[in-house]
Amino acid sequence: MSHPTSELTAYLDGALAPAARAELEAHLAVCPACRAERDRLASTIGLLAQLPRAEASPTFEQRFHARLAAERTERTRRRGFLDRRDPIWRWLAPGLAGAAAAAAVVIHMGAERRDERFLAEHLDLFENYEMVESVDALERPEDVAVVAHLQDLVGR
Amino acid sequence: MAPDPDAALMLAFQAGDESAFRALFEKHGRAMVAFCNHFVRDVARAEELAQDVFLKLHRSAARYRQAARFKTFLYRIASNHCLNELRRGEYAARREVERGGGAGSEPVDPDALAGGAASPEELLLASALGRAVQELLARLPEKQRAAFVLARLEGLAYDEVADVLETTVPAVKSLVHRATVAAATALASYMPAEEATS
Repeated sequence: MSHPTSELTAYLDGALAPAARAELEAHLAVCPACRAERDRLASTIGLLAQLPRAEASPTFEQRFHARLAAERTERTRRRGFLDRRDPIWRWLAPGLAGAAAAAAVVIHMGAERRDERFLAEHLDLFENYEMVESVDALERPEDVAVVAHLQDLVGR
Repeated sequence: MAPDPDAALMLAFQAGDESAFRALFEKHGRAMVAFCNHFVRDVARAEELAQDVFLKLHRSAARYRQAARFKTFLYRIASNHCLNELRRGEYAARREVERGGGAGSEPVDPDALAGGAASPEELLLASALGRAVQELLARLPEKQRAAFVLARLEGLAYDEVADVLETTVPAVKSLVHRATVAAATALASYMPAEEATS
């Protein structure tokens, strides 16, 4: 007899389709070993449900709003700085971004899956215009990604 | 798909309504601290991470598409952020130091877990159980840990977990099962006697 133990957690979580559930229940009716395993898993799930949740401190919201306000001030300050810069930057940026995007596609196509994962994990780099200012060379995958999206960032 | 009031708030925020963002933070901010704490075992750091998550949400509102439920969108940002935090290794090193401190798994009286009142003994036991769970989580592979936290500790449905982790429901089923089996073994000493031996 094969024992469908790998289905037991989904069964207890109510995540089995009706037919699979009925099949498993028929097996449980005749298999003491699987019933014992079901009970062990059910006890574990019950125990975990009693686990206390971490409570945030009373000043959590206040500190968040302070961080958000500081970040918004900084964003505004940087935007103001960029707006004052030589207008030629704004003329050149789309062209440079297009060229960089083409380069990025070529580089990126040859990149390993590791690099794709790295880029996905550093999505926040795309969101920070200020990061673009610090890019001097296309040495690392995240630099490529930032420059590739320069046009989007300029348009924000 | 059922109407998602949080998605409506997110769309309102996209349209410039800052009060909609505040409402989302008030609704989910503290839950996010508990979620992040499962990964870092440090409430102060979990608060910072939860705040980071909402700052990211604030910055990346334009990327939100209503095709995704807001909750899965939020948990996806949070899961990635917490896993990145762990990958940085900072907390692996700190955990080693903590283990050296011998705070670990003293024998406990499982019967003390029953009941709702929080006596000092029960609080102590809950704390010991919490440590045991955190030690278990630290040993689980990354994706198993994330699936376990989302499904078992945060109560997300399997299809929601699949959305958050960008994988399939059968994969989530397998991840959650393996982690639950590992939990059953790791937490055996916390089971009430009649259940642990049946």
